[in-house]
Amino acid sequence: MSDEITLPLQSYLARKFSAPELVVSDLARIPGGASRETYRFRVIYEQDGESVERGLILRRDPTASLIETERSTEFRAYGAFHKLGLPVPEPIALELEGGDLERPFFIMEEITGCSVASVLMPDPYCEHREKNGEQFFAMLGRIAGADPNALGLGDFDGPGTRELCWSHEVARWETVIDEDEREPQPIARAAIRWLKRNPPPPAQTICVVHGDYRTGNFLFDPDGNIRAILDWEMAHLGDPLEDLGWALDPLWAHGDPSRPAGTVAREKAIAIWEKSSGLKADPQALAWWEIFASLKGLAIWISAAREYAEGRNSDPVNAFSGWFCLAFHNHVLAERLGATS
Amino acid sequence: MSPEVDQILLISSSQLSSALVPLLPAGYSQGQASLLSFMMVMCAQEYERGADVRASENSDVRALFRTLAAEIADRGLRAQLTAAADTRDESLTISALNTNNAELRRLLIALHAHLEQQDNHAAQARIWELLKRSAARRLVKLA
Repeated sequence: MSDEITLPLQSYLARKFSAPELVVSDLARIPGGASRETYRFRVIYEQDGESVERGLILRRDPTASLIETERSTEFRAYGAFHKLGLPVPEPIALELEGGDLERPFFIMEEITGCSVASVLMPDPYCEHREKNGEQFFAMLGRIAGADPNALGLGDFDGPGTRELCWSHEVARWETVIDEDEREPQPIARAAIRWLKRNPPPPAQTICVVHGDYRTGNFLFDPDGNIRAILDWEMAHLGDPLEDLGWALDPLWAHGDPSRPAGTVAREKAIAIWEKSSGLKADPQALAWWEIFASLKGLAIWISAAREYAEGRNSDPVNAFSGWFCLAFHNHVLAERLGATS
Repeated sequence: MSPEVDQILLISSSQLSSALVPLLPAGYSQGQASLLSFMMVMCAQEYERGADVRASENSDVRALFRTLAAEIADRGLRAQLTAAADTRDESLTISALNTNNAELRRLLIALHAHLEQQDNHAAQARIWELLKRSAARRLVKLA
């Protein structure tokens, strides 16, 4: 497998960097979710008479994905927020046709010396949980507060108007459930009806929504600093509260929903986000987006389960998502919506 | 049968994570094997409870259909509820229980939507109680 990728990758980068002697080494697959195959590698080449050595990351489309996403969207989001000064790896190259590597891929810089939390870890940030949480929610606020047009991302998929943010997203994920469910989902269906009957107010503004902003999708260093916000593949335009609702979801709380993302207390998280974004987290609107977050989770897990069950992607994370995460979010929604009925 | 399947899965999971995972290259391979080991624990749990979870849910749904059928004015829906309430799980294989569960869930969704249209809050609350019980039963319990 390694040579199947190393040699064509070397050939591609030699052309890309106009460095015929470029060498790719130490290629190794690393965890990066089931939606892209992720590899770490090193390159050595000559540039302006100097020898350059750097670590890079390759993200290649799998044969089938946990959720279908646009790789150009992800690549452009990395570029825009890297330029904005957020800790986002610098994107290097994007190939939509696949070419040398047969499937579409993109390459970005490697961030070294960091860790990533697993959802199953009880307390991944330990003594740095406050610092991690302060940075995590402040950075999310900066994403929410940034002007999509100024970022050059104003053409991302979105609802068009502030009034349509919620219905655009509900329709998106209802379609996923319609297409991918392998068994009837009474809680998901009830949640969709509830979301439609109880719409939130129009969005305060339309922003870039990361789409999967949560614990496990950022790298942190041993001092508790967030060094990279990853996995922008579901980025789109929408209501700023969408990302906040997802970040606050109990699935990402490492067992303690009162400390979202396993970091700071919920009230503090929201206050940090408000200060950083310059926006308000209206409690009723946020409550709607939190219900939506769990419904969106269900849709993703239902889709993952189908990919696995129908043999298109045997990555165990698909089976895990379609079982553990699906059961979790069904429980969350039943408790929350059952309390409102 | 002894050792029972869940015991075999638990011991195998332990051997995989303690003896084999450390031998794999760090990163992707270790991560994948660790997740497989964790899912073997989930499988052990499901082996023990899987039939009970499904049979209990099916039984609960039929009982609810029987109770709520009397409140449904729509004759077609009422007839479906009455008929479904009289079914039973002839086989306790997981696949047979799943087939029956899917049929019952389909009708439960239709009933729930109907009750929302009728503003029958008491009956909706009974459905939510059932859904909460069902979701709690299916949660994966972490040790």
